[in-house]
Amino acid sequence: MVKSRRKQARKKARARRDGAITRPASAARRRTPSDDPVTAEIIRGAMETVAFEMATHVSLTATTPILNQSNERNATVLDARGCLAALSVGIPQFMLSSTLPVKFALEFFGEGGLNEGDVLLSNDPYHGGGHLPDYNIYAPVFHDGEMVLIASIQCHHADTGGGAPGGYNVDAPDIWAEGVRFPAIKIFDRGEERKDVTYMLATNNRTPTFLGDLRAQVGAAQLGARRLKEVCERHGNATVRGAVDYMVEYAKRRFRAEVASWPDGVYESDTWVDHDPKGNEDIHVHCKVTIEGPSITVDFTGSDDRPEIEAYSTFGNTRGYVVAQLAAMMPSDIPKNEGFFDSIDLIVPEGCCLNPPEGRSVAAGTHHPGTEVGEAIAKALAQVVPARCCPQVYKMGMPTVIFGTNPRTGKTFIDHSVDTFAAYCGAVQGQDGWGAMNVSFGNLIRATAEINESIFPVRQLWRDYETDSGGAGEFRGGCGSLYRKQMLTPSTVYTYVVGKKYPMPGIAGGDDGASNKLLVRVGGEHVSEVGDLSERVLHEAGECYEYYYGGGGGWGDPLDRPPEKVLDDVLDEYVSIEAARDRYGVVLKGKLENLSLKIDAAATTRLRKNMRSATRAGARKPTTTDAKAS
Amino acid sequence: MALRKVKTTKQGANAGYRIGIDVGGTFTDLVLVRPDRTIHLDKTATTLKDQSVGVLTGLRRLAKHEGLSLKVLLERTERIVHGTTTADNTMIQMNGAVTGLITSDGHRDEIELRRGFKEDIWDPSAPPPPAIAPRRRRIGVPERLDFEGKVVEKLDEDAVRAAMRRLKLQKIKSLAVVFLFSFINPKHERRVREIAKKELPGVDVSLSCEVMPRAPEFERTSTTLVNAFVGPKIKKYLGKLEASLRKNGYRKDLLLIQSNGGLMTASYVADKAVTVLGSGPAGGVIGACKVAADAKVRDFISVDMGGTSYDVCLVRGGKPEVTSSWNWHHRYLIGLPMVDVQSVGAGGGSIASVVEGALHVGPQSAGAQPGPICYGRGGTQPTVTDANLALGYLDPGYFYGGELELDVDSVTRAIDEQIRRPLGLRTVEEAAHGIFRMVNASMANAIRRVSAQRGVDPRDMPLVAFGGNGAVHAGMQAAELGIGSVIIPKSAPTFSALGLLLTDPTVHETRAYITSADQADLDRISKLYADMERTATRSLKRAGFAPKEIEHTRIAHLCYPGQTFDVPIPVPGRGAFTRRDRDGLIEAFHRTHEELHTYASRDQVPILRAVGLEATAHTAKPEIPRIPASSRPASVARKGRRRAYFDGKWHPTPVYDGELLRARQTVQGPAIIEEPLTTVVIYPGQKARLDTLGNYHLTL
Repeated sequence: MVKSRRKQARKKARARRDGAITRPASAARRRTPSDDPVTAEIIRGAMETVAFEMATHVSLTATTPILNQSNERNATVLDARGCLAALSVGIPQFMLSSTLPVKFALEFFGEGGLNEGDVLLSNDPYHGGGHLPDYNIYAPVFHDGEMVLIASIQCHHADTGGGAPGGYNVDAPDIWAEGVRFPAIKIFDRGEERKDVTYMLATNNRTPTFLGDLRAQVGAAQLGARRLKEVCERHGNATVRGAVDYMVEYAKRRFRAEVASWPDGVYESDTWVDHDPKGNEDIHVHCKVTIEGPSITVDFTGSDDRPEIEAYSTFGNTRGYVVAQLAAMMPSDIPKNEGFFDSIDLIVPEGCCLNPPEGRSVAAGTHHPGTEVGEAIAKALAQVVPARCCPQVYKMGMPTVIFGTNPRTGKTFIDHSVDTFAAYCGAVQGQDGWGAMNVSFGNLIRATAEINESIFPVRQLWRDYETDSGGAGEFRGGCGSLYRKQMLTPSTVYTYVVGKKYPMPGIAGGDDGASNKLLVRVGGEHVSEVGDLSERVLHEAGECYEYYYGGGGGWGDPLDRPPEKVLDDVLDEYVSIEAARDRYGVVLKGKLENLSLKIDAAATTRLRKNMRSATRAGARKPTTTDAKAS
Repeated sequence: MALRKVKTTKQGANAGYRIGIDVGGTFTDLVLVRPDRTIHLDKTATTLKDQSVGVLTGLRRLAKHEGLSLKVLLERTERIVHGTTTADNTMIQMNGAVTGLITSDGHRDEIELRRGFKEDIWDPSAPPPPAIAPRRRRIGVPERLDFEGKVVEKLDEDAVRAAMRRLKLQKIKSLAVVFLFSFINPKHERRVREIAKKELPGVDVSLSCEVMPRAPEFERTSTTLVNAFVGPKIKKYLGKLEASLRKNGYRKDLLLIQSNGGLMTASYVADKAVTVLGSGPAGGVIGACKVAADAKVRDFISVDMGGTSYDVCLVRGGKPEVTSSWNWHHRYLIGLPMVDVQSVGAGGGSIASVVEGALHVGPQSAGAQPGPICYGRGGTQPTVTDANLALGYLDPGYFYGGELELDVDSVTRAIDEQIRRPLGLRTVEEAAHGIFRMVNASMANAIRRVSAQRGVDPRDMPLVAFGGNGAVHAGMQAAELGIGSVIIPKSAPTFSALGLLLTDPTVHETRAYITSADQADLDRISKLYADMERTATRSLKRAGFAPKEIEHTRIAHLCYPGQTFDVPIPVPGRGAFTRRDRDGLIEAFHRTHEELHTYASRDQVPILRAVGLEATAHTAKPEIPRIPASSRPASVARKGRRRAYFDGKWHPTPVYDGELLRARQTVQGPAIIEEPLTTVVIYPGQKARLDTLGNYHLTL
């Protein structure tokens, strides 16, 4: 019986993947339309407030830095069909991992299968999730004997069992080696904690703080359910349902109006990942965006489907990146709910790197080719709406995970390197790249030296911007950091580096950002650069790794950047005197040491003229993506 | 413009006046408490360029009202408490000192990296904050301490000198120094200050180990940079103001309100200017606590609606929350304890406009200059105050105590042209009511957000409303939020200035000590508390407060292993910190954590992050004079009737003279009560009753 349910659910999931995102059949149920938009707005405000409260609760109470410092959590409010009504977002890319797992649970447990006081947990990528460390915990909200809403919260956990500590076993041959899978389990049943289940969860996790994080997350879901019940009590179930429909319709209307303002046409792009963790090169993402009036279709047919590749982005993950990139290209006040997502026709053929056959490993693929999904959309639409295109992605491979025995405690430590450093901040028309990360990661609050050195046996020696690492452009890409971290005790650094061959792309004629480069065992006699495979590198005490994090891509032709701004960049050492000349055509005289630099106006005019005619003659410096495409 | 008829004055030569002067975005509010405890309120326009001009103008007005020369008034004044927004304005206009920054090598970009934080995760074109120290003025020097303060790398003094020469080339006036873990071992930072005396004479130096002695480094860098940036300006401003007060006969210390809600002397603030940043709303919150305490209310929401901003503070247990976590001001993080007030750009001066068919109100404000259209000072865009006039809530002939004649015709014309027509509405009053509703909605949302962060329902809490425009809007906001009762003090328009006279000198001290709580060295903690008590007492003594008046409240900051945000736990007792204190502290943390966050992890040993101290010098505060009660109906205070617009139609509305109302008299809405400096609007279905302390209690 269980088996047949699961089969049904999978069949449904496949159907969804093959074509447009459609609502489950139950969505067709008739609703009372909201006749009072003011009340609907009030309820929307209330739901967003509840989502905000749930997310705040986790930040205040979780025990692992990735949750309490980094805000890697999203809170959502769904209706009883699993349709997204409101959210409070930590990271836009991950905002969708709530709906599909909940929809699976609704199908699996069936009508009447969920009760007041239940709290459920899901993490399985093949049942709607992103990757295994993302735990989705949710609680149904009952009022007057009916299930009306679902309070849901997703957190990235520090470990999830499997073949490597830290939840990122990028070497795993299949999903089972990555960690323990939980399609949908009840950890509270009618208000009673299932001690057997929580004990099992803790047993299958390496981190001693796991239970603290789980408690924080469960507490948030219960808090959300309590608050949402009050909303139902205040307004009545029918009005609340009507309000959800109103919000969804409103988002849909705004989204479609925005798409309608873009020129009709078919826009294609190609994007590549250097390699997967096993060294399979040039993982290819092909994207075709079709704009037709208010409708948008995003089609990834033609993307890599080599059977030997190791890194897959699950359908839920792919969908998340599509939505996050489009959201960054629209007015920021359009509510992000089912109406927003429902307006995108998404085609991802099963079997390609963006929609794996069940059982394949996905730990690495969440990031790559996951982020390349957003990049591909930005590159495709840069042909028609360049002003809005700034890829909201990163080229990390995976964060460096450091583990060993902490001499201060005698216990295992895992440092996920959720540290402060700069990388991949693209420019957009009117604004240079700035800060540490693209805006869509702006909620991901990172740890600092003083926090992490007090906890882990490491020392953060350097993280300043690296000159010339931002792509040149009329608007300059943000610089990346040179990040130097020292091990104070023998420790293993687990890495997987991409973005060496394919760095952050320039847009509208801007240069690509600088590439990533990771040197390990610096300071000893065994310095080496990390290559195309994922590696576990044992460092002696005192040795460092040096990560040259890539910069953001530039926007627009560097020759159009006002020389005064280039001079400022040189004085601030974002750009070198040489790059000012070679990439921007700006000639400076005087010295940087005593800040006496001035623009040589005549030489600059001459050089820029020459560079422009050379470009016209087709001698423009080719970018990496050009190289591959040709 | 006396609040009440002046009693026969009995002041002798020794009796002292107390004066509170609070500078707001639009008005400078003044409160004078006479030796006989009667109160006089006044207001004068804020002089933005140099706030001391407006302050002196205000003092002259007070003197004139008392029939004294400024000199005689100031000679007889025993305390002047000042609230200034000079630091905030410096950050808004970004016109502070040319500032340089010296950091540990490899960490000069901390302030740009901001721990990855960006304010809007949906808008890639959002700009960075304006730089206090651009990259060319940020220089790393070789030095390093470990997390226990041990020197890993010695300070390279030649590199420090070279850095200073480079900064001198850029004509810096202020220098910030931030080294990693300097809060455990300040040696390297202090050495840099010594070197600066020689290399950078005349340049102000802010050390992070003194401005904010605790982790983490981004928060400390940001706070120290802001201190360095606003410091010289504050110093100059206070120096000038103190000099002119002295010249005019004032013999005591000038006291300032800090953002932690406590007072300190001008000389203390000059060295720690960042403590007055964001202090604007503190006075009002303190006043609200007093009013609420008199009404036996401990949990309430304090709302201050002035000309420019709307400040919300949630008060529980009779004391405002003072927090030092993720406090962003002017796009910089301030990591010091601050009264937890959240502001939105909504006030009487908020400008209304129609953009692409949608009505916007605020956050732009017409401020004091040009001000609303009705002031006739050159304002051309309709504001909230203009809308209130068009709706009949304000009296064109009796505004600002009758000192200002309001121009109704220009207002009507502007609302007609700029709002009614583009929105396609039928009448001017509909358009004006739209402005009124919009500003109320944005203020109600601010209250909802603040209460959500504390997990409370605003409906359960009364509103204490004040500020120049609070009394007009409070009744309607309460109705929107489902709040049943509102308290509006008669002194609402200059309430923040009154609050300044109701608080005590307070300093906060913090010392970092990171260790597992059960391993915490008792002796070390005792010494840290003793050190903080000495430092705080010295600061307060220097300000003229005797040690016997000083109350010390000990605090310890704890969290579970791995948590970022710690919880301040009060530590009872004085003297040596004992094993029992330590056990009690751990248990108190578990209990508080459970209260705040639903669970306690008793299987874990919490981490001690820092110990802190709040030192308060208790001083005598003025009593608020009583208003006699009357059993006669309120109609004796009726002074007329005018039409006002409520619920989509005009109502003939009785107008009362607030100065003639007596305690226990009740006014039934719709009604308007005119006070000299403000107007209380009682909406249909609501009623207001005056108490003996001069507070209107609205019930809905």
